[in-house]
Amino acid sequence: MAEPVLRVENLCCGFHTEDGYIRVVDGVSFECEAGKTLGLVGESGCGKTVSALAVMGLLPQPAGVVEEGRILFRGEDLAATSHDTMRVVRGQQIGMIFQEPMTALNPVHRVGKQLFEALRLYESGLDKDDLTARAVELLEQVGIPDPVRRLREYPHQLSGGMRQRVMIAMALAGQPEILIADEPTTALDVTVQAQILDLLRELQQERGMTMIFITHDLGVVAEFCDEVLVMYAGRIAERAPVGRLFNAPHHPYTRGLIESLPRMDTPSRTPLNTIEGVVPKLTEMPAGCRFSNRCGYADERCGREVPALESCTERSAVREPRDANGGGDTEAVEPRAARHEVACHHWQRLAA
Amino acid sequence: MSAPLLEVRNLTKFFPVRAGVFLRKVGDVHAVDDVSFTLHRGETLGLVGESGCGKSTVGKTILNLLRPTAGQVLFEGRDLGTLSHAEWRAVRRDIQIVFQDPMESLNARHTVGQILEEPFVIHKLGTPEERNIWARDLLERVGLPRSAVSRFPHEFSGGQRQRIGIARAIALKPKLIICDEAVSALDVSVRAQIVNLLLELQHDMELALLFIAHDLSVVRHVSNEVAVMYLGRIVERASSNEIYDQPCHPYTRALVSAIPLPDPGRERDRIVLEGDVPSPIEPPSGCRFHTRCAHAERVCAEKTPEWETVTPWQQVACHRWRELRGEIQD
Repeated sequence: MAEPVLRVENLCCGFHTEDGYIRVVDGVSFECEAGKTLGLVGESGCGKTVSALAVMGLLPQPAGVVEEGRILFRGEDLAATSHDTMRVVRGQQIGMIFQEPMTALNPVHRVGKQLFEALRLYESGLDKDDLTARAVELLEQVGIPDPVRRLREYPHQLSGGMRQRVMIAMALAGQPEILIADEPTTALDVTVQAQILDLLRELQQERGMTMIFITHDLGVVAEFCDEVLVMYAGRIAERAPVGRLFNAPHHPYTRGLIESLPRMDTPSRTPLNTIEGVVPKLTEMPAGCRFSNRCGYADERCGREVPALESCTERSAVREPRDANGGGDTEAVEPRAARHEVACHHWQRLAA
Repeated sequence: MSAPLLEVRNLTKFFPVRAGVFLRKVGDVHAVDDVSFTLHRGETLGLVGESGCGKSTVGKTILNLLRPTAGQVLFEGRDLGTLSHAEWRAVRRDIQIVFQDPMESLNARHTVGQILEEPFVIHKLGTPEERNIWARDLLERVGLPRSAVSRFPHEFSGGQRQRIGIARAIALKPKLIICDEAVSALDVSVRAQIVNLLLELQHDMELALLFIAHDLSVVRHVSNEVAVMYLGRIVERASSNEIYDQPCHPYTRALVSAIPLPDPGRERDRIVLEGDVPSPIEPPSGCRFHTRCAHAERVCAEKTPEWETVTPWQQVACHRWRELRGEIQD
């Protein structure tokens, strides 16, 4: 098993606010395997975007703080590294695209100028012609027709789908190993979303890019991701390969989410399954499992004791690849991609 | 069959495009062009389409928030275009609207109590004490605590605010509610709660819903019938089962196939449309979808397709649906 490209260990981060410090991400750990797509899924405020911003070193300053944890990229801890190093990592090693390209692109500069700026950052000594050639090439790669003309246009002259393509082109300019996509298709129409997902899939295959795909849309997760982390209120609830997550969800929250989707193949106008109640405020979280106040399985222990993320694959003795001491008997090691972990005191009842 | 509650006939809404120093009219945005449908008491019609297809304009034109350029809206058999101001006021009790973002449609400076009492004040109903009790009843009806009357909209989460929006809409016991992307901004688990609430209220109050949204899976779930819009026109109408099981219009088929399903590993024939929606200022001639349709022929660019009946529950506006259906079945 190859070393993961990115390993996040026990990440805790939060913000200083008027009401004091609030921890938003609480002990999140994950790995990204090379060339694969990891989905980060959860509802508004679950900490998925904040986790990604922490990886990029882009938490809003000075309010945002990474309290604890390590973000290991090629053996280097990004959480402890200098701003100068981060500037190199950002863009050239880890790229990011955002939900709303209209706010991420500068409205008063032409598309070309913004692309040139990105290209100059990564490669010095390019003259105007080189820049234009490279920018045209990038726009072609992301499927923008008539790229020479587009370079001279402003973001508002492009459609939503085209703007997102420009964003992707800018992220690709530094040829990153990892691409973090934060809700890249949420603001788009379904048919345009299908175009953008196709494009990302192609680019990933061509370049062997690793992707972290943040979304709230379980449909997109099912179609796009290899492995999924389900987050709830700043913690990981469940982590599983995509097939297992949808076929055998072991966390009551995951199951509730999947069951509350209106499906195209079920009779219409029947009541949907729901998760009762709302996510508690960050300042009013239950002491134990944060889902306990909305959970049908919860008992007294859930309200008291934080459930650890534990393995729930059939073979109970899962050996961590880290303990394998440089290989040895690799057969006994559960392949990482098949790992299924859940943070619930009652997962056995759900599994049954 | 009883007379429909709402009948929309050839509804058309153009917005003028002005340019230049003297703001001369240089064209029209064809937002809604010749749209017709009917809606019966207690039923739901889903209006689905992508941004800019005119679905919200249809809703606003029915409510007379926008004046139609042409066409008629009949509510309980009365042409709403001919009503006087006073008559409109009476009709407004029967037709309500719920918007996408309750934070924008609820007055942030009013308490929830004031918001919910306002419809009664406008229509001069009840005494202040009665109104207060009614407001509390409404909150209970939509699943919020009665004590919420003294709080402000910003104190609630998105889902709770949408419940307040719905409470205001049902205050005057309307016959029709237009839901304009009413659940689109909500998280999955909350969205299911609000969908269930709407279905329940509809059942209890015999409400008709015009459910406008871009998410076909949600629209299908709440609707008896679904109408698919593209560039200002309805291209297909069908019962909510047919629209998914056997869509006939190439656009509907692309739309259905583009919905990501929470079903990993399932093989699907995805139809990915090329390019973007053309400008509604100079929409394509003939069938408006022909510029992006893989099956378009000459006739599609020349003639506007007529409505054709596939089954009693399904109509389509496409020149080639018969041949295309054969191709799919082969």
